[in-house]
Amino acid sequence: MPDDHNPFADPLRFERRVPECAMVIFGANGDLTKRKLLPALYRLAYDRRLPASFAIIGNSRTDLGDDEFRNNMRDAVQKFSEDTAFDPDLWSRFAKNIYYIAGDMNDPSMYQAIGKRIGEIERHNVLFYLSTQPSYYGAVAEQIGAAGLNEAGPGAWRRIVVEKPFGHDLESARALNQRLQAVFPENEIYRIDHYLGKETVQNILAFRFGNGIFEPLWNRRYINQVQITAAESIGVEGRGGYYQEAGALRDMIQNHLLQVLATVAMEPAAVFEPDAVRDERAKLLRSIKIMQPEQVPLYAVPGQYDGFREEKGVDPGSNTDTFAAATFFIENWRWAGVPFFVRTGKKLPKRSTEIAIQYNSAPLSLFASGDGDLPKRPNLLILRIQPEEGISLRFVSKQPGAGMHVRPVSMDFKYGASFGGRSPSAYETLLIDAMIGDATLYTRQDMVEASWRVVEPILHAWQSPNFRVPLYEPGTWGPPEAEKMLERQGRHWRNA
Amino acid sequence: MTATIEPERILREMNQLWDQTGADTGGAGVLRACTMTLIVVAENDEDAALARRTIGSIMHDHPSRALVVKTQDGEDMSARVFSECWMPFGGQQQICSEGVELTSGPRHFAEVARALVPLRAPDLPTVVWCRGPGAFTLRAFDELFPLADKIILDSSTISGASAALAFIRSLRLRGYRIADLEWTRLTGWREVLSQVFDDQSMQAPNSITSIRIAHGGQTPPICAIYFGSWLGRALPSAHVRFDTAEGDPGLRSVTLSSREGDLSLSVSSGGCLAVTGLGRQYRTALPPRDEAALMREELKILGSDSVYERVLG
Ligand SMILES: NC(=O)c1ccc[n+]([C@@H]2O[C@H](COP(=O)([O-])OP(=O)(O)OC[C@H]3O[C@@H](n4cnc5c(N)ncnc54)[C@H](OP(=O)(O)O)[C@@H]3O)[C@@H](O)[C@H]2O)c1
Repeated sequence: MPDDHNPFADPLRFERRVPECAMVIFGANGDLTKRKLLPALYRLAYDRRLPASFAIIGNSRTDLGDDEFRNNMRDAVQKFSEDTAFDPDLWSRFAKNIYYIAGDMNDPSMYQAIGKRIGEIERHNVLFYLSTQPSYYGAVAEQIGAAGLNEAGPGAWRRIVVEKPFGHDLESARALNQRLQAVFPENEIYRIDHYLGKETVQNILAFRFGNGIFEPLWNRRYINQVQITAAESIGVEGRGGYYQEAGALRDMIQNHLLQVLATVAMEPAAVFEPDAVRDERAKLLRSIKIMQPEQVPLYAVPGQYDGFREEKGVDPGSNTDTFAAATFFIENWRWAGVPFFVRTGKKLPKRSTEIAIQYNSAPLSLFASGDGDLPKRPNLLILRIQPEEGISLRFVSKQPGAGMHVRPVSMDFKYGASFGGRSPSAYETLLIDAMIGDATLYTRQDMVEASWRVVEPILHAWQSPNFRVPLYEPGTWGPPEAEKMLERQGRHWRNA
Repeated sequence: MTATIEPERILREMNQLWDQTGADTGGAGVLRACTMTLIVVAENDEDAALARRTIGSIMHDHPSRALVVKTQDGEDMSARVFSECWMPFGGQQQICSEGVELTSGPRHFAEVARALVPLRAPDLPTVVWCRGPGAFTLRAFDELFPLADKIILDSSTISGASAALAFIRSLRLRGYRIADLEWTRLTGWREVLSQVFDDQSMQAPNSITSIRIAHGGQTPPICAIYFGSWLGRALPSAHVRFDTAEGDPGLRSVTLSSREGDLSLSVSSGGCLAVTGLGRQYRTALPPRDEAALMREELKILGSDSVYERVLG
């Protein structure tokens, strides 16, 4: 780290600095580049977080010159920057260092051209960003290696950022990893899971380990169950082709939601350093009980919204899960016996991602309540990730007036309302981290493998030839089987 | 003095203000947020108005209960409540922070301090920001300092660097946690220099044998002294020298000399610093250093600031 050799460092005041570097984006003509990467990079430039010399080299097949590509990227920034004013002067300075190389990712000469451009602009540190279809990941890494672009000079670095999905099952994840690691060492491979870059997911760690009062209650003695919901109200929105290959379990649970679960349930790391934190996340993921095939129908429920098969690009006989719910148990001393219910889906009643931690009820109900259900309304701690990031605590309070009647009230902390300043987007956070070399919020291969091991028995069961995914009505909380899964365990989904 | 401040009345008014602000939003309601108490001592009416503007701007990042003490000799002691509200980008609900403005002459600061105790937001840190030169010269401020977890001063408001520094050091010796906005103004310069040495290919800085700090004005201003002290602590074997230079008072350039050659940072046009020498030649923009930006930086640091403390010695 620079601080070790730099007597002028002042980490309390200085922003972590991005060294002079270039970012090579494969798939630069694609949706992710336009919607997320360029707006994030522009915002970082706007906030003066990037060196003035920061360069972007984009690649895809469409024949474009540097200027045309710059114009496309300007349009993307103007269209997709949600909360950043467009500053033409800043853009013209930023765009000066944007370049484009047209060519096919399978063509070795294209990598020579990229190498030549890197040499011309004299950047020693290079971040290769795979914003392409996943089937290209291994081949692009190998081509980078074959062209020698992975070799950094003394004191410089070459890194690769890989978008999810990391494989489509355990075996393919391992195979992909072997191909990546043949070219880049593990510590230069950055597997991006943008959920971990969200301010509110990071805030879970601050909430748990920055406060003294919650951690003592954060275990099986006090917590009855945990529910993690990531609901979308929209359908596949033109991405039907991609989605029907993936499905909700692969697209959301295997990566994002298991990472969120790990953040909620992991042990504190001894120090807040990349490998210490990632060790704890990985340990937690390895502690999740793997379902036996006969347990899958009891602990996992898929669903498909009515109408999915009529979506553009979707096979009319598709058996893809657009909804997935599962019960996970963590086999360690802190969590033994506490169910973690995880669900995600499209066309659900509302867009919301949240974690609900339900405490055990008070052992005795001393008070009368205007709400006959009160005994079934234990304390609930809600960590909301989107749309209104924040934390709520539900507890019981006396009703105003005569008599000792009680009722539940909710105490809300809204993150955005307490700090009026803007929060960086997940991609801003993660891109800066990759350029600085901080992998805390990136997924390591052992974490990827552990989470594939967790979902694989479910995938196998759902992919068996005779299995039919139950349908659900758009605008409902998935198929009735999802509720039955909890009923069997004496619980109910929140909001269900 | 004919009137005293009644904290209960002010707190009651503050609650009424919330009810009123909530009602004014037509049911959308307002949210209150508070991370600290910020006691601001303003020199006069005009200064209090400027302070309020800065408070409005820093509230977004540091929502606080602001207690503005407006110094006005000969006036009765009085108080009024106010709120600072803003609509977050794309938000539907206003966010508001609360404030009280007290008017009093320094003679009554002991009484002001007693009134401020119950007005502070309980259980949260208190920062006392003294905007003008009064803090350096008037002993009455001693009544207010004990309220603070951190005291923010601005030594650029007085002349005489050594007296200012002696005063800051004396406060520190009395156990106060101090910040000086004149030190905060140097963050941009320090960061640019630090970045040069972040570069792994850069020679170890301990080969630097001498440092020349050029400043405008006849005697080294406090910012130059700070910079020299900071460099001296970082490079104990280097010799630090101060020279006068053409131009406005303040830091003009810094040159680090080693066997390999000189590295210079100097003021350049358009709010930029020019970095030259040891294979480098570029200009870099300094971050905005308006009062709100300085305060935002200081309010982020409520614990100990070891670098500044070392500079104070
Ligand atoms: N889109 C999102 O919001 C999102 C969110 C999370 C993760 N992801 C992941 O991010 C990655 C990129 O997503 P995306 O939606 O941006 O992908 P995309 O639009 O399908 O593809 C990116 C671009 O790659 C170029 N391309 C395709 N084949 C090529 C080839 N043989 N050689 C050179 N360029 C080629 C295409 O441009 P040309 O036609 O010009 O060649 C295409 O526009 C995927 O892995 C996806 O799973 C995407």
